[in-house]
Amino acid sequence: MQGCTRPSLSLLLLSVLLNPGVVPSAIATAEDSPPDGKTVYAEKCVRCHGMEGQGSEKVDAPLKGTLSISQLAKLVQETMPEDDPGSLTSEESKAVAHYLHGAFYSAIARDRNRPARVALARLTVRQHRQSLTDLIRSTAVAETSESAPGLQAKYAEGRGGGKDSQSLERIDPQVNFDFGQDPPVSEIEDPYEFTIHWKGSLLAPVSGEYEFCVRTEHATRLSINDEKIIDAWVKSGDDREYTTTVKLTGGRRYPLELGFTKAIQGVNKKQKRDQPPPPASIVLLWHPPGRVLEPIPTRYLTTVPGPVSYVCSTAFPPDDRSYGWERGTNISKEWDAATTHAAIQAAGYVDKHLNRLANTGDEDSERSEKVQRFSQEFVEAAFRRPLDESLRSLYIDQHFQEDQPLEVAIRRVVIMTLKSPRFLFREIDNIGDDYDIASRLSFGLWDSIPDETLLTTAAAGTLSDPNELRRQAERMLEDPRAKRKLRGFLMAWVKCSDPIDLEKHLEHFPEFDAATMSDLQTSLELFLDDIIASEAADFRELLTSEKLFVNQRLAQFYNDVASENQQFTLVRSEETSRSGILTHPYLMARFSHGSESSPIHRGVFLARGMLGQRLRPPRDAVAPLAPDLHPELTTRERVTLQTAAAHCMTCHAIINPLGFTLEEFDAVGRYREKDRNKPVDSRGNYLTQQGDEVAFEGPRDLARFLATSDEAHQAFVEQLFHHLVQQPIRAFGSSKLSELHEVFRQEEFHIRKLAVEIMVASTPVKRETKVVATSD
Amino acid sequence: MPGQENRRTFLRELGISAAAVPFIWNLPSLGFANQTQRKQRLVVMFSPNGVVPNTFWPDEEGADFSLKESLKPLAPFQDRTLILNGVCDRVRGDGDNHMRGIGCLLTGIELFAGNIQGGSHTPAGWASGISIDQEIKNYLQRNEATRTRFGSLEFGVLVPDKADTWTRMVYSGPNKPVTPIDNAYQMFRKLYGDRKDRENLSSVLDGLQDDLDRLSHQLSAQDRHLLDEQATFVREIEQELQSSDDTVSDHPLPELEPGIREQNDNMPAISKMQVDLMVNSFVNDFSRVASLQYTNSVGGARMRWLGVDEGHHSLSHKPDSNADAQDKLTRINHWFCEQLAYLTKRLAETPEPGGEGSLLDNTLIVWTNELGKGNSHTLNDIPFVLIGGGLDFAMGRSLKFPRVPHNRLLLSLAHGFGHTIEEFGNPDFCSDGPLSLT
Repeated sequence: MQGCTRPSLSLLLLSVLLNPGVVPSAIATAEDSPPDGKTVYAEKCVRCHGMEGQGSEKVDAPLKGTLSISQLAKLVQETMPEDDPGSLTSEESKAVAHYLHGAFYSAIARDRNRPARVALARLTVRQHRQSLTDLIRSTAVAETSESAPGLQAKYAEGRGGGKDSQSLERIDPQVNFDFGQDPPVSEIEDPYEFTIHWKGSLLAPVSGEYEFCVRTEHATRLSINDEKIIDAWVKSGDDREYTTTVKLTGGRRYPLELGFTKAIQGVNKKQKRDQPPPPASIVLLWHPPGRVLEPIPTRYLTTVPGPVSYVCSTAFPPDDRSYGWERGTNISKEWDAATTHAAIQAAGYVDKHLNRLANTGDEDSERSEKVQRFSQEFVEAAFRRPLDESLRSLYIDQHFQEDQPLEVAIRRVVIMTLKSPRFLFREIDNIGDDYDIASRLSFGLWDSIPDETLLTTAAAGTLSDPNELRRQAERMLEDPRAKRKLRGFLMAWVKCSDPIDLEKHLEHFPEFDAATMSDLQTSLELFLDDIIASEAADFRELLTSEKLFVNQRLAQFYNDVASENQQFTLVRSEETSRSGILTHPYLMARFSHGSESSPIHRGVFLARGMLGQRLRPPRDAVAPLAPDLHPELTTRERVTLQTAAAHCMTCHAIINPLGFTLEEFDAVGRYREKDRNKPVDSRGNYLTQQGDEVAFEGPRDLARFLATSDEAHQAFVEQLFHHLVQQPIRAFGSSKLSELHEVFRQEEFHIRKLAVEIMVASTPVKRETKVVATSD
Repeated sequence: MPGQENRRTFLRELGISAAAVPFIWNLPSLGFANQTQRKQRLVVMFSPNGVVPNTFWPDEEGADFSLKESLKPLAPFQDRTLILNGVCDRVRGDGDNHMRGIGCLLTGIELFAGNIQGGSHTPAGWASGISIDQEIKNYLQRNEATRTRFGSLEFGVLVPDKADTWTRMVYSGPNKPVTPIDNAYQMFRKLYGDRKDRENLSSVLDGLQDDLDRLSHQLSAQDRHLLDEQATFVREIEQELQSSDDTVSDHPLPELEPGIREQNDNMPAISKMQVDLMVNSFVNDFSRVASLQYTNSVGGARMRWLGVDEGHHSLSHKPDSNADAQDKLTRINHWFCEQLAYLTKRLAETPEPGGEGSLLDNTLIVWTNELGKGNSHTLNDIPFVLIGGGLDFAMGRSLKFPRVPHNRLLLSLAHGFGHTIEEFGNPDFCSDGPLSLT
């Protein structure tokens, strides 16, 4: 069967639609009108059991339990109603059992009906890793403002370092050179022997394994984060490529040093020069997680070395994301084992680097005091609040009192601290004081522990003042950790945060290769970063901008944009209807099949993601119609045909007309005027919650609508809230969403300001306790 | 039946749940493997800069020979010693003799062309093949009965902190030098760090439990549930540590003198620590192959504790006519031989766990050098002094060979383990097969 679309994609379609827990399952989809459980319940049961099974004067036990639907149906059939058992038909018993099981009887239903609350949560995996990095660092190296993109380079004759040798210092935007048989720069005369050093820092955009690769015919060595990861200073044999893999934490800068030498090492002897000089070249490449091997782009390099930082390489089980955002409200044996492993690993690192971390030395007469002082700072930073006497004695003093070497004591302090519930769980003291506010703020904006400034502010007791809180939040938004978090949110908002396989059918799109896909992701990320960092940080721009970041490769592939530049530049799309993220080729390709666009995927994304619609999963698993079975039909016609049934149209009447507006962009996001030789029809419509019918002529109409739609604004506010706060917004009061929506509108849809206001609106908060809080 | 045993069934029989297994990090081998066949071990010990032939090589051949000054410390073990004269490093190619001396010593194959210039000859890189100790290690690790936690351990004593052709003897493959660990504390962490981690973890659990109890009272019933779960996990760690402690062999950890820096004058102390760690690692059956590299090829240790203030390498360049230098070089080699004797003594004193005799009965030590003689830089008559009963060689002899390539000795070592390869290193030097030493 040639034309069959890939089964994995049809499964993808279903998994997109099958988001559990959104709609109660007991919605009648009756066609031959079998008995409606809810109606039966209202007629026959409510008088004793109450509307929500809560009971009544006659029956005081609430209607809840563990029977299955069929067990329940049997029970109802045989015993209910009490005054006339057996009077229900078996259909009616089944229907009523089905209804009450789903509505309030079962544990699942009761859980769903429980009022939202701020639940105790552990650190998410991301927060755990980021916190460890921030916890285990020497006194912060202040980033000077003089840093520039690229690396600081030093070129020298011979082995370098000689006092008479010629040399040159400059900034190289990248390391990607082919010197041929010549000297590398005009300041150096000798083409036989020269040495180059590059120094600076490297930004890891995401957490994960990075492969680094140096290509050169000569000797080289590479250090990242002060670890020598490639050592080919001994040039031996014909190796031309040196590769290694390193784990890095996202949103961090790591010191980077690269050396190259064409000079002979070992005993310093004059070399024979009867042969012409051999060629020399060097390229520094990386392969970030999920991307392709490429020379490290300038935007990830800066000339000022960042601080050496700790990387937690423990593998954790993934966090719960069933609600669409990461949260740490459950724990498992595997998670606990991972925290133990991480604690032991961290203890080993702290021991090994103790002198640097505690700012002391082996000969220091105050070494013990300094290590204890470091311990106190460490524990307080980990617990996000000062220690009282009893905690100090429990977590620190007991380890130092015994006749133990310092190294053992510090390891025990670290292990105990990192295994402590005070580190592992969020705001465990549940005091709701300024320290809790500081924690909520920093985990919200940074996914990490509060920094010193924040703790100092908390100590001063001014964080409960919303203006001070706002000031702190604004300060924190300038930090790379906040930028990473906001970008992470936007990627989640456009449903692109997970590694996505964009691969298409090669026979249709032979040039759509891994490099192009990787470039597309870069293009999307640059676009999001650009808007979020801009003065206006305007949400509407995300939808309506007519510009796209492209490099030469993308410009060649997408014929509606032009660029000769190897680097990414922002260009306006010519003569097409491109409109912000809505038509970004990354999203267009992501919401497509292997050879055809998918208006359904696109429509579901728009309805759910952009407009916050709750869609029901489809009744049956359905594979998309194979295009070749209907070669005369356009994609739009084919989708219309397949979803024409009435039970489909309950949702597809919303989905399809949204998705159809993007039909001008094919399965790889290229602009097209025709589909199957017919002009593309990109008209669509949407019925708003207010009941207004809106019609669109293509994506720009749609974008203008979304940019001004209350529904889209609310969906955005709600999702950002959940991404930052990681607790249900309903737990903060039923009006919180509309209040924040109002603020968003007043602030001209400024995304960063919204983030600040979300932090203000979600703090201070205390979880419920059995004891009534004394301070109120 | 023992052949069918594996660690998992063993643990199961001890009643340890599968969930506990991840906590028993790198559990040392319990010594029940390989009950039918005796254990065999190989230790390669290296010292640099050649020897003084007159004070090193016995005059006699055969079982009746007397030890000269350099080898005097071996007197108590003379009947377990096999001295091989006339074994030559015939490998040529890029690199000077010191570089090839160490780089081809255990690999038997040429160095790659490269950018490291020696005192003479052409520049070179790393060796182009695996070294014999790693070859044997791989052979042993392939078989479950002889597999150990580390397979091999590379010890060093004051190896300079730079990676170049002079400082690397062991190769896991072409262009793959293995860095010896010359810091005894680092080696200790490698060997016993997991046990220390367990101790440290164990020591904080009671305190954590108390704190969990205390916090639990501040929480609502729903939130407390999460913390109760956490408390259960902490209790489970305690139980798991308990059961893993019960299964860990009860060999005591070696005691290291604390605070010994890596400095020239600490060489004797570091040497002793490393030997003690090596013997202990054998007791725990952490590995069956080890190497012990003193300094490096051209190493310049100043053995002031012997009254020798000059660096070893520069002394080794002095002519034969310089009696003072010859005397000092003899004392230096005598000192290295004392280290060898200490290792031998420790192995001889230590009973073979779960087996017959002593560790020495099942271990062959090979003491070697990158040069035959320092001032001539010859690669002929490379010192090979073998001790112990590891490989069924006929010991207690002094043998003199007619300029045989050392590749043949490397083959003998492999064959001694039952690894009957026909070639090792450069095949041109292997055509006559292994040296017959049994």
